[in-house]
Amino acid sequence: MSMGILMGPVGLLFIVLGFVTFAILFERKVIGWMQARIGPNRVGPWGMLQTVADILKLLIKEDTIPSKADHPLFKWAPVIAFVPSFAVLAVIPFTDQWVFADLGVGLLYYIAVSSITTIGMLAGGWASNNKYALLGALRSVAQMISYEIPLIMSVVGVILSAQTLNLTKIVEAQEDLWFIVPQFLGFIVFFIASLAELNRTPFDLPEAESELVAGYHVEYSGFRFAFFMLAEYVYVFAMASLTTVLFLGGWKPVFGLDLVPPILWFSLKFLLVVFSLFWIRATLPRIRMDQLMQLGWKLLLPLALLNIFLSAVLKEVFPGVY
Amino acid sequence: MQINGEFIAFFVLSIFAIGGAVLLMNLVRVVHMALALAFTLLSIAGIYLLLNAEFLAVVQVLIYTGGVSILMLFGIMLTRHRDQEGDSVRPWHNLLSFLGVGSFLGIVIHTIYNAPLTEITAEVGTFSTAWLGEAVFKQYVIPFEAVSVLLLIALVGAVILARKESKP
Repeated sequence: MSMGILMGPVGLLFIVLGFVTFAILFERKVIGWMQARIGPNRVGPWGMLQTVADILKLLIKEDTIPSKADHPLFKWAPVIAFVPSFAVLAVIPFTDQWVFADLGVGLLYYIAVSSITTIGMLAGGWASNNKYALLGALRSVAQMISYEIPLIMSVVGVILSAQTLNLTKIVEAQEDLWFIVPQFLGFIVFFIASLAELNRTPFDLPEAESELVAGYHVEYSGFRFAFFMLAEYVYVFAMASLTTVLFLGGWKPVFGLDLVPPILWFSLKFLLVVFSLFWIRATLPRIRMDQLMQLGWKLLLPLALLNIFLSAVLKEVFPGVY
Repeated sequence: MQINGEFIAFFVLSIFAIGGAVLLMNLVRVVHMALALAFTLLSIAGIYLLLNAEFLAVVQVLIYTGGVSILMLFGIMLTRHRDQEGDSVRPWHNLLSFLGVGSFLGIVIHTIYNAPLTEITAEVGTFSTAWLGEAVFKQYVIPFEAVSVLLLIALVGAVILARKESKP
């Protein structure tokens, strides 16, 4: 039993690392195809080892620390940013058997713990003692805080329907109908807000490489930089899993196809979400800072509040359906 | 006293919380102090978790570690942050502070020892968030609404005060 407790998370860590490796390759390939390019194809068959080579390069690079940097903070920031990204995976139910911590308040736990990463980004940008890094960090934090509110508000509809904060029970409440149908407005708000939380295009202002060099991690190199990137891609993994669990019915099969194992259903839905993230990155331009704030506060937040109101009213009027 | 996992966890979390607070007092740079405070608040969330208060722990992380700390860091970064604390100019200042803090500690300890904590308490082992929701929104709905109106007034007041200064 104690071995299982230890080995489970270690296994998950390796699965996540494997996902990150191939997600980066997949992202580059998909964006390449959408822009009529080939994408990486030199290292290994079909470019399969491109990311492995990139990671190897990062790990053997010199670890530079600017002399005017805040040394202890500079070293700790990547750790503060990465640890919460992996800690949130503890509550994600991949199947009804495979969940590490079946917390009663799983959904809130995810949102709360993921907000700690913001401190890591802010500390990293601050400790670098570089104006681009600081600007990137401030933008990043402003964006994360602004979009966290619509993100939380948009899942309230799901919580109202499922009558629980436990992620396993939320999936079980979707036995007949996935929440993407009754909570469509909530899903749209959640998806846009999650794009912003993940700092992905069109919301990649914190690391806008064409205007801010690379944002908060401009002074980082080697494995510290790798940690920041890893944290971002682990969040892609976590957020895609959360979207699957909340709105796409988790491990529940489509059309009653019980033959396919639940974990495969989960993976398929999960990969669909990941693909749409890459798809959006390839097709949409980055939005401006003022547009970002307007979208968050003047459009998404009222829509999320409207969704809560509608969910509550519809739940009272048609208690069977919602 | 038997030593079990809960006791060890409580011990470690308490050391983290107190250690963060001590660092907060002793660090020189203001940004480091804010991060030490965030660490203390996170450790306190861990203690809430040990006491079966899942919801309170998560909200503590969400509001204090994630929200208030970042607000403080933002405030520090956007204002004068290069100041480092110098030595105290008034020599009797330390003594007076010590007396003040010491008497406050005395009052708190006196209150704790006289508080009727040995009475029968509610069962906490099977506590759930749903019960908390029912208690807040059914039994205590009027105090809850009063507090939310008070907070709203404070929010609007803060906005009005902040806007007044920026106008020419």
